[in-house]
Amino acid sequence: MALLAVEGVCKAFGSLKAVDEVSFTVAPGEIFGIAGPNGSGKSTLFNLITGIPFAPDRGRIVFDGDDIQGKPGHAIARLGLARTFQRETSFDGLTMFENVLIGASYGKPDRAAAAARDAAAEALEFVGLESRSFGRLAGELSVFDRKCLMLATAIAMEPKMLLLDEPASSLTRPEIETSIGLIRRTAARGITIVLIEHVLTFLMSLSQHLLVLNQGRVLAAGEPATVIADERVIEAYLGTRRAAA
Amino acid sequence: MTDMNKRVSGAPGRTSWQREAVGFVLGLAVLAMLPLVFTDSYSRHILIMAFIYAMVASNWDLSLGYGGVFNFGHLALFGIGVYAYALLTKLAGMDPWVALVASGVVATLAAVIVTIPILRLKGIYIILVTFGFAQLVMQIIISQSDITGGTQGIVRIPGLYIFDHNMVRDGKIGYFGIALTLLALSTIFLRVLVRSRIGASIVALRDNEEYAISRGVSLVRQRMITLAASAFFTGVAGAFYAAYQRNASIDVFGMSLATIVLSMVLLGGTGTIYGAVIASFVLTVFAEAMADFGAWRPMITAVLIILVMLVYPSGLVGMIQAAWGGLGGRLRRPT
Repeated sequence: MALLAVEGVCKAFGSLKAVDEVSFTVAPGEIFGIAGPNGSGKSTLFNLITGIPFAPDRGRIVFDGDDIQGKPGHAIARLGLARTFQRETSFDGLTMFENVLIGASYGKPDRAAAAARDAAAEALEFVGLESRSFGRLAGELSVFDRKCLMLATAIAMEPKMLLLDEPASSLTRPEIETSIGLIRRTAARGITIVLIEHVLTFLMSLSQHLLVLNQGRVLAAGEPATVIADERVIEAYLGTRRAAA
Repeated sequence: MTDMNKRVSGAPGRTSWQREAVGFVLGLAVLAMLPLVFTDSYSRHILIMAFIYAMVASNWDLSLGYGGVFNFGHLALFGIGVYAYALLTKLAGMDPWVALVASGVVATLAAVIVTIPILRLKGIYIILVTFGFAQLVMQIIISQSDITGGTQGIVRIPGLYIFDHNMVRDGKIGYFGIALTLLALSTIFLRVLVRSRIGASIVALRDNEEYAISRGVSLVRQRMITLAASAFFTGVAGAFYAAYQRNASIDVFGMSLATIVLSMVLLGGTGTIYGAVIASFVLTVFAEAMADFGAWRPMITAVLIILVMLVYPSGLVGMIQAAWGGLGGRLRRPT
């Protein structure tokens, strides 16, 4: 059974159909890639699935057997659906440890205080942040460390699924390599991953299934190798043969 | 190789609670000694007023500084405490001490009600609604003049008592003690709250609302907790003020009082609780010391506030930290 099933989801902003009749399923344990040019509706799709900050106009979203469309964002998060944001995001007024403690305690409210602290420390070490810097304010960190911290706050929730919104954006080449390794290790923990990226090579190296969006609609879906060979995908990314010539 | 059994103790990067407790007790001891130095009842009156301001300002720091919620109806919560105490003791004949606590509860309920319309709002729209709430409360009090005394206010409100101690002819030592105790309880409450994980979630919502929600923090619940928690001791402070002054008037809803308390919150440095307490003392004592300057007083005060904020954008707390750091550096330096 699919862990996430999105059926006919739509969202319009005025006359612009940002997401138009999008359907797909994600199986447990896989890394699922979503590609598409800028403005194709990738991030909006994540917003609709997580209810942050808005729910879809129409359509159905089933996560782990629960209908989640229209539920408040924090409730969806507590069901085990975590996300990251495209821009590196942190709680600047809190220390690194407190940042992760938010995910560890509020993302899993049944957890006792001591267990939440252990989970927070473990998540920070997992993403490679050193324990002697746990007391630093998140606002002082570099872009890469903030991205790692954002991932740690999600992992501390022990989610079933993690939606990663362009984890490679504004990173250097070696940082991207580190990120790929980190995403693989996250998947190895048993967390299903849905990954947005407009850099196709990044997606190709990670995902087992690929979905390509264009202007809010599904352009192609399936095995990565088949999808990128698709005429329409090439056209969306590079323009038509005639225009290119 | 990572040791998974390794525990992270305390709050890394934060002052340990033991150290903070020591500092708190020392500060409290100094304040408790003040009546030995200031033996006249007028000086003690100034200190009592500073304690009341400190309670109102530090509770405002919880919603404004930590929560980033622009609650410009905070002084209305104080006013609700004033009138709740006046009406409960005078009309309902309630025991003053019970009424003091009940007034805090009434202010808390009012804060919960005002939370509902601002849940979906941000920034200046929250200012608009909370300011409107303060005006609404004032208009209700004016319009219900049969019970509230309208613009005339309420006089001869029953005061507090301590066993058979004479509260009137004691050089205000009785009220001084109560005011200091309430300020201590309020400050402990606020500091324990902001150091807890609830406090962390309040800051998380301030720093990035969507991100906090995505980590399981409920905006509705935490925002309600923030405003309700900031209201209780504000209402108690209002009740104490009514008991101490023995009268209530709608002046407490005016802009001038709100401006004074807001300048205490900002001058002290937001998001510290202690900053608002310190600034309340500095501004209250300063205003008294400059009594001879008459009409120049508010202008000199304003210029000084601007100067402090220009040099130390994080307020008096930032100034103290800088001074402390400089001193520490000098002491550590080898000779």
